[in-house]
Amino acid sequence: MRVTAFLALLLSLASFAAAAADPLPFGRGSWAKLSEAHAGRPTVIHFWGLTCAPCLVELPHWGRLAAERPDLQLVLVAADPVPQDPQRLADVLTRAGLGKTESWSFTDRFYERLRYEIDPTWAGELPRTVMVDRKGNATILPGVADIARVRAWLDAQRPSRP
Amino acid sequence: MRLLIALATLVLSVSAAVAQHHSHGKPGSTPEAFTAAPAFAPDGTLWLARPMVDRIVVLRSTDLGKSFSAPVTVTPEPMNLDWGPDARARIAVNPAGGLIVTFGIFQDKNFNGRAFFARSGDGGATFTRPRPITANATSQRFEIAGVDPAGRVFATWLDKRNVAKARAAGKAYAGAALAYAWEDGEAGFGDTSIALDNTCECCRLGLAFAGAGRPAVVFRNIFPGSVRDHGVITFHDPRTPGPVRRVSVDDWKIEACPHHGPSIAIAADGSYHVAWFTDGARRKGLFYARAESADTAFTAPRALSRPDRQPARPYLLANGPDLHLVWKEFDGDKVAVRWQVSHDSGRQWSDPRIVAETADASDHPLLVADKQRAYLSWLTRAEGYRLIPLGDQP
Repeated sequence: MRVTAFLALLLSLASFAAAAADPLPFGRGSWAKLSEAHAGRPTVIHFWGLTCAPCLVELPHWGRLAAERPDLQLVLVAADPVPQDPQRLADVLTRAGLGKTESWSFTDRFYERLRYEIDPTWAGELPRTVMVDRKGNATILPGVADIARVRAWLDAQRPSRP
Repeated sequence: MRLLIALATLVLSVSAAVAQHHSHGKPGSTPEAFTAAPAFAPDGTLWLARPMVDRIVVLRSTDLGKSFSAPVTVTPEPMNLDWGPDARARIAVNPAGGLIVTFGIFQDKNFNGRAFFARSGDGGATFTRPRPITANATSQRFEIAGVDPAGRVFATWLDKRNVAKARAAGKAYAGAALAYAWEDGEAGFGDTSIALDNTCECCRLGLAFAGAGRPAVVFRNIFPGSVRDHGVITFHDPRTPGPVRRVSVDDWKIEACPHHGPSIAIAADGSYHVAWFTDGARRKGLFYARAESADTAFTAPRALSRPDRQPARPYLLANGPDLHLVWKEFDGDKVAVRWQVSHDSGRQWSDPRIVAETADASDHPLLVADKQRAYLSWLTRAEGYRLIPLGDQP
């Protein structure tokens, strides 16, 4: 019995080490894939960075909103101009309550191209939030997002009943 | 029991492998700087300072960048170099041919930095052991050193010592402070002074000289309301920084780090030239402005490109009667360095011309001049390092 408990403990430690999945590598063409995968569903894409202090303060707000609103389709993209350690990114997201959220990170140093594919006018400032509705119309929230606006946007996405 | 130990070992080794896998060998697991900073010596030798993962090396070219000497390592031990997108290891040369290399490291995972310097008095064969520029260990970043017209080295950087002081006193402190020091004989730098508190904390600084003992520093400042627009401080004398002269009112209110620093040049006639990036309420993109002298206001900003081309990383250089200006922009396929030249102190500029392109990652474009002419100095992943002469108007 004690042996089983010991093994269970070891296995739980091992799975803990692997729990925070690495972000998906975001490279050339990833934006098109991401957009296609979410097409037709209202989706909020939040761009953040490990090297962006206000982003780190903001992330837990997104963690709480995700817990509160099951209707929030959230995608996180770490857009650091210099690619960051995936493990550190995953750890920060887990601590913010976003360990299970779909997550990507820039892995290509040709950041001009990655940004251009997302939005040619985006010069890379972080944080940045893009809310895309069912029809593909995007609402951009530059800087730290006003969560009340995100909630109101989510409310507006509810399908109207006949 | 043996089975248990075997199983435990297996489980632990898998965990260790997972951890190992995460911290090493994966693309992006160790951020690295990708920069090359040039300087010409009085004898026409081109010097480059480059970070190589965890060390700084210096290379020398006597054929205008066609070939380089074997790299000389400046850092005897591996260091956790600052890889921030606007940080840069640099090299400067004094009139006697003495070299000074400056670079920053990260002290911790919160991006607290330490600025170092190393010198060479034997033509780059050996360097002194790197030493911190300042005794205070709180945090320094974005150090830049320049040689004034009298041959004296001036260093300036963004310093967080007053942030720590304010925090200890339970007070808030926005941004960082603009700190400076002058070289003090062979020993290194003298006492550090603070020229200004509450500057933005994450953008490169621009440095030029209005005369001997009179540095002019351009930086992203924090104006009231967390507006991160640019200011210039010109020193009245080596120990007296003048007031902040605002370059333009862009009204970029942002509680964040743009990682986009400005550039400055002072022409032979004493006129000031600044180029910068903003995403302000009043204007967005890349801009240039000039001022008649050290005391006059800057002219209305001139846009250098279109915001949908991601114009960024401007660099200005005064070279004899000419002013050169470069920046990079992206057309959806290639990054291009565009160049403009002015022969009348920045009043009129040539049409922008593409002087180099790349289709992969690149460093910021820089300008450097020898006795004859000005050059674009640019490190790109696909092409490597290039020194491209800037011809005159076609």
